[in-house]
Amino acid sequence: MRSLHAALRRLLHAVLLGLVGAGIVHIIVLLLVPDFSERDAWSRLSMASDLYRMNRLDAEAGGAPVVKSVDPLFYATACRFDLEEGMVRIKAPGDVPFWSVSVYDRSGHNIYSFNDHTATGGKLDAVVLTPAQMIDVRKDLPEDLQGAIFVEAPIDEGIFVIRSFVPDESWKPIVSRFLDQSSCELQDF
Amino acid sequence: MLKNAFLMLISLAIAIGGGGASVWYALRIQDGVGAIRIGQWTAFPDIGTPAADPYSKARVAREGVLALGRAEGLSFVAENDAAGDQLKRECAYRIEGGFPTARFWTLYAADRSLGVVETGKSRLAALQSYEVLRQPDNSVIISVGHHPMPGNWLLTDGSGKMYFVLTFYDTPIASSTGLSDVSLPRIVRAGCDA
Repeated sequence: MRSLHAALRRLLHAVLLGLVGAGIVHIIVLLLVPDFSERDAWSRLSMASDLYRMNRLDAEAGGAPVVKSVDPLFYATACRFDLEEGMVRIKAPGDVPFWSVSVYDRSGHNIYSFNDHTATGGKLDAVVLTPAQMIDVRKDLPEDLQGAIFVEAPIDEGIFVIRSFVPDESWKPIVSRFLDQSSCELQDF
Repeated sequence: MLKNAFLMLISLAIAIGGGGASVWYALRIQDGVGAIRIGQWTAFPDIGTPAADPYSKARVAREGVLALGRAEGLSFVAENDAAGDQLKRECAYRIEGGFPTARFWTLYAADRSLGVVETGKSRLAALQSYEVLRQPDNSVIISVGHHPMPGNWLLTDGSGKMYFVLTFYDTPIASSTGLSDVSLPRIVRAGCDA
């Protein structure tokens, strides 16, 4: 009888210990998921295309979308960049009802966003650079960068997404062209 | 000796199994930390930002989401109608009321993965604010269902669980101070196809 009691106590002890351990494992796993996920936006995009390549996120371009772009009334395109290789410039010609741009870091956090009301004359022309590169650029601002929006981001690898509103059927080709003609390239300086 | 090893094994099994399973479960449920509820609508204003809680961060990494930024917009998701019942694709609903300030908004019916409901027709299961008819007091009444309806009609199809996703673009409510006194439209069930 007494030995049964002792055995039960030890079992209870083991279970409690297990529960405390479960709490610790829960926290560790939760914090490790972002670092080890192979399903995050960066990994999905890198399977689809190279750095500095625009990649449509909506199904319109054919095939399943690489990264789920949520709103069905929007088209979107994304490109990956690495600021260690230099600053990157994003441009898109043409007029659309609404566009917005987001800069994400490697793990998919939204670092900075702006929309067409922010830009000069509604033209999409932006440069993403690190604070150190910004200091260099400030010293002598090139002529053709005068109108650009400068996004200072303390990151190296990142993702750039352009979203554009498609109010109805008739806008589809225009918005599609706007996104297909957008460029994402390393800017020499 | 053997008994000790057995007890240790139990502890480890509970720790690893329970820890892993609880993370998996926490990331699966729609509701979560950092949610803001207004009526039936839920938003996660912090999701996808560096300020997000660890659960949102893990969810973003697992699902490959690229969340809307503050200057872009804010999404609300509704899972239940005003009576507290789950939204169903086979039912008809009325979404009525005023909408907060924004340059424009979009509304669509979504399936479980929050992708737009497939209608099998050229008409999308989505509406946007430039195309809706308004009441004299600027409020909007939207009829949702399989069958065409006068006024604003949001087409749905199929059966099963449904969500409504309402996104405001270029809106002051995306900054957290604006969220306190926002009112969103009500979702009322109008009837179901048997």
